[in-house]
Amino acid sequence: MIRKIALAGLIAVAPIGASAHQLIVFASVDCEAVTVEAKFSNGNAVQQADVRVLDGQNNVLTTLPINTDGTVTVPLDSVDHSEGLVIEVDTGSHDNYWIVTPDDITRSCQS
Amino acid sequence: MKRHFVTASLAGLIAATPALAHYGMIIPNDPMISQEDGRSVALTMSFSHPFEMDGMMLDTPVAFSVTHEGTTTDLLGDLQDATVMDDQGYTLDYPLDRPGTYIFAMEPQPYWEPAEDAFIIHYTKTYVTAYGDDEGWDTELGLKTEIVPLSKPFGLWEHNVFQGIVKMDGEPVPYAEVEVEFFNDGAGATAPDDLMITQTVKADADGVFTYAPPSDGWWGFAALNTADYTLPQDGADKAVELGAVIWVHFEEWTGQ
Repeated sequence: MIRKIALAGLIAVAPIGASAHQLIVFASVDCEAVTVEAKFSNGNAVQQADVRVLDGQNNVLTTLPINTDGTVTVPLDSVDHSEGLVIEVDTGSHDNYWIVTPDDITRSCQS
Repeated sequence: MKRHFVTASLAGLIAATPALAHYGMIIPNDPMISQEDGRSVALTMSFSHPFEMDGMMLDTPVAFSVTHEGTTTDLLGDLQDATVMDDQGYTLDYPLDRPGTYIFAMEPQPYWEPAEDAFIIHYTKTYVTAYGDDEGWDTELGLKTEIVPLSKPFGLWEHNVFQGIVKMDGEPVPYAEVEVEFFNDGAGATAPDDLMITQTVKADADGVFTYAPPSDGWWGFAALNTADYTLPQDGADKAVELGAVIWVHFEEWTGQ
């Protein structure tokens, strides 16, 4: 469900990753926090970007600056993740996203 | 020249034809797994004549592994028995925890082929990329014999060329012979001549070969060389054919 909502919204607004330096966004979850990683396709970590955390209804929950190593951590207890989360990374010239599904969060708490 | 069209099913009836090539196969459900595809890849392993869709027995492999970000993990114990092309094969669902390129590799048991009076060992591999990150696409595993890709082994359009280096014991094999065959799964391809079921190209002096497929789908490349050792069979020493096999998927061109 969250995927459909998020994808529908994002496809409408995001000119995703068609350039030579594609932005790659990934987020892992360990039951306590979401760790966001962003790098370019040449392997270089993103140095500067806004990381927007959205809920399953595409409401922005928080916006964080990315660290200079291309990561940022979002504590799960700081956001409503009941319908999953959409993580958007926006460098100003590139943007991409990762969807943390409710299943991802559930699995991380079982392992 | 007399031309006769051989369908895949008919070819199966005349499977004694010596031109048929054997292929180890590792075929994923998708070579490019996006986050929308899920969090795992489903693999099917077999030993076959892929154009004719003619399966052969694949005994429990000697080794089956995945390499990702420089780490190789043994997956042999995770293989599940399966029937593939009406014969013994294996399947595996493998979770993709992180982005990047995952290289799945299989070393089968030596296969005794009486028709060739030789054993066959096909070191087989397939590259799968996860979540839009192609890092590691040119990874060399260090197998006994191996095709190291010079073209990214996924994300190719049909008619693109695929290039690779044939290696044996880590060294390029000059003028190596590379057999190329289409996995005719549901495609209904026919061959106007048996010679076109398996096509053959040779590498150059540096072991580099090039091939451009006529259609989208899975294409297998098998670089065949004779081992510098023999194996016993029926009280005699028999030659061993070492195959470096890579499976590459070409995507259908979407333009006009």
